[in-house]
Amino acid sequence: MRQAEDAGLFKGYSIIPGAFDELMGPQGEPRPDFLRLLELLGSRSPDEFTRIQALAERALLNQGVTFSVYSDRRGTERIFPFCLIPRLVSARDWAHLERGLEQRVRALSAFLDDIYGEQRLLAERPELQEIILGTSLYLPHLRGVRPPGGVRIHIAGIDLIRDGQGTFQVLEDNLRTPSGVSYVMESRILSKRVLPEVLEQARVRRVDHYPAKLAETLRATSPEDPDRSTVVVLTPGPYNSAYFEHSFLARTMGVELVHAADLYVEDARVFVRTTRGPRRVHVIYRRIDDAFLDPESFRPDSLLGVRGLMRAWAAGNVTLANAPGNGVADDKAVYAFVPEFIRYYLGEDPVLAQVPTFVCAREEDRRYVLEHLEELVVKTVDEAGGYGMLMGPQSTREEREDFRQRILAEPRRYIAQPRIELSTCPTWDAASRQVVSRRVDLRPYILTSPQGSWVLPGGLSRVALRAGSYVVNSSQGGGSKDTWVQKETA
Amino acid sequence: MIARIAEQCFWLGRYLERAESTARVLQMTGQLALDAELPPEQCWMPALAIFGERGTFAALHGEQAEADGEAVQRFLTWEEGSGSSLVNTLFAARDNARSIREVVSRECWEVTNELYLWLGGEMGKAEYTHSRYAFYLHIRRMVQLCLGLSGSTMLHDTPLDFIRLGVVLERSGQTARLLDVHHHVFTGMNPGHLVVQTALWLSLLRAGSGFEPFMKSHSGRVTGDAVAAFLLLEARFPRSVRYCLEAANRYLRLLAAPEGQGQLGQESLARLAPLLDQLRPEALVGPEANLHALLTRMVEGTSELCQLIAREYFGKAMPLGTQVMGG
Repeated sequence: MRQAEDAGLFKGYSIIPGAFDELMGPQGEPRPDFLRLLELLGSRSPDEFTRIQALAERALLNQGVTFSVYSDRRGTERIFPFCLIPRLVSARDWAHLERGLEQRVRALSAFLDDIYGEQRLLAERPELQEIILGTSLYLPHLRGVRPPGGVRIHIAGIDLIRDGQGTFQVLEDNLRTPSGVSYVMESRILSKRVLPEVLEQARVRRVDHYPAKLAETLRATSPEDPDRSTVVVLTPGPYNSAYFEHSFLARTMGVELVHAADLYVEDARVFVRTTRGPRRVHVIYRRIDDAFLDPESFRPDSLLGVRGLMRAWAAGNVTLANAPGNGVADDKAVYAFVPEFIRYYLGEDPVLAQVPTFVCAREEDRRYVLEHLEELVVKTVDEAGGYGMLMGPQSTREEREDFRQRILAEPRRYIAQPRIELSTCPTWDAASRQVVSRRVDLRPYILTSPQGSWVLPGGLSRVALRAGSYVVNSSQGGGSKDTWVQKETA
Repeated sequence: MIARIAEQCFWLGRYLERAESTARVLQMTGQLALDAELPPEQCWMPALAIFGERGTFAALHGEQAEADGEAVQRFLTWEEGSGSSLVNTLFAARDNARSIREVVSRECWEVTNELYLWLGGEMGKAEYTHSRYAFYLHIRRMVQLCLGLSGSTMLHDTPLDFIRLGVVLERSGQTARLLDVHHHVFTGMNPGHLVVQTALWLSLLRAGSGFEPFMKSHSGRVTGDAVAAFLLLEARFPRSVRYCLEAANRYLRLLAAPEGQGQLGQESLARLAPLLDQLRPEALVGPEANLHALLTRMVEGTSELCQLIAREYFGKAMPLGTQVMGG
């Protein structure tokens, strides 16, 4: 077997001790599945790589594939940093993930149906009441509402990491408005443009049919005949940091992108204002939070939202994707119980592992957490993007004391997990012009229609671009990679 | 189509056209200043007047600065407080295009975005410093590329109709003001050397992109009256006021609700009709003819028409000449 040193670009590549590397084995040798591809990539010179990386970045900027950094009128827009060295997933690993993700979404859907319906689980397990009903993301006034088409989690983004042994573990469920899929599509376009022969050799499954699948999924849950249904994407507007994605989805699905002010509700039906008068809307892929959907239902002070939208939804006249109220199932404390949901609702063993989690609302967990703050990662249940976190092993005494007080004051808002040694992936470092080892996670996207779930073969691989960092969020210096899922060998 | 999107299409067209026009007028004025042997203020004042920016400019730099070509160019290129400056106009065009990114074609968007990034970045500033002519030319070409691409890469449907409506209404206003300002200045001058006079009329034609078309249709005979008639009435010239208003009439007919579906769009059409009516050759001859009054009616009539369009199609009343952003 050829060693990595033979290949120019990967010369001197070293693995972080204890971490599982996605592309290289423990001795720095390419994993057998990816041998051919790594030889091809490795034959590129640093000069050539610098050139194609710059080319790709320029293309993204000109195309406006950006996110807004702040929201003033001439706010800065930046491209999402990315690395052209793809992250690969073998066909065997993917088959396992696909099964596990499908199962997980099925269990989470059953959980949501139950919690907004009979609440069988809570009757049998009263000790879970505080955890489940204690989150502000549970919306009690929606109890008894069955969404049109019966689907609640049309689009799920489930974050996975890989531990030191290479075992995939679920880190987080995103069941409200998971973002990032447009970067998956755009990264692939770049890969095709700058690494065509590598991509071809790697036998990679395509991702570009996602928008068509999404449109089909959304239509399939419409209260009207799918062929006669009007689907729209609802955005908070061009100053939202994810606006590129919103317009990308509307454009690639061939549907209209609307602002809340374009819509109104009459007679529990939703209409869009057009130059030829009102037109009925049947399905709304909304990219705004529950709390801003309808001032009548949630925040009377808010000028955002569409007055009466929730009434129209409850009457079964419009589909909202994802359904309002899903937040209860992706709350970080509720997450701890998903393996139990899988057993309870499906009578199956969980296919995917997940990270052991201490729920501070439980007394014995809380005691353990407070005694082991130096070893644990503490997270606030209702904050995203890597905010509201304590990275125990890297924390100062003051930070730990601050979190101790916060946990004691509001235990329900905190969970803690052991720090997992995230897997790494060879990543181009422009400053040193070499390939370095950086930690990654993976967010696959799962679409669910009344006919069942479909997993996009690929996903957003987020990478911590700073040496030593575990934080992959774009808001905290993370970047992305294209994820190449290999085809089954015939 | 969604009313907000129609509005943003309309303004995308207007801003692109305005940017092209500003760049063209500055480019041509720079050329005129080199060979017309005119006092500098007679060169540069009209550039400000065409865009209705004399007041803003004077407040910032004083009236005497109208003789300072560099100050005028800097103002009409980089001034954030001017609704006609290139930096503002192209920002607004790009902002509209970005907001309706799913409506404009990818090619069209990329050109607008690239131009915006170029202007705001080092490359644009370097070009402005080292080659003014090339700077304006680049802007003009990119805008024309974008407008051309919109016609060849988008569905020929309502969004494009609104973009083009914005273009022709902006253009008719620009041509009318260009003609008004220059005609006023040039005819008011002491009757001087015929060659100088001819150079002025030619520069006016160039500022309206009409030099070659005019020469073709007039076999090279240049007079002030002929140039005025050409820019105002020539039905075959795409920047003449008449051509633009006739085009606007066509788009408004396409956009208006079909018969039997209410009155939508009928008011706009009714407002346009009397404007078109006045654009006859007789309007420029005889003792009653008054070019300035006619042009003023065109400029005012067009801006009233724009307000009416906003009310009928975008569901809002709009202040003169501006877009309500982010509303």
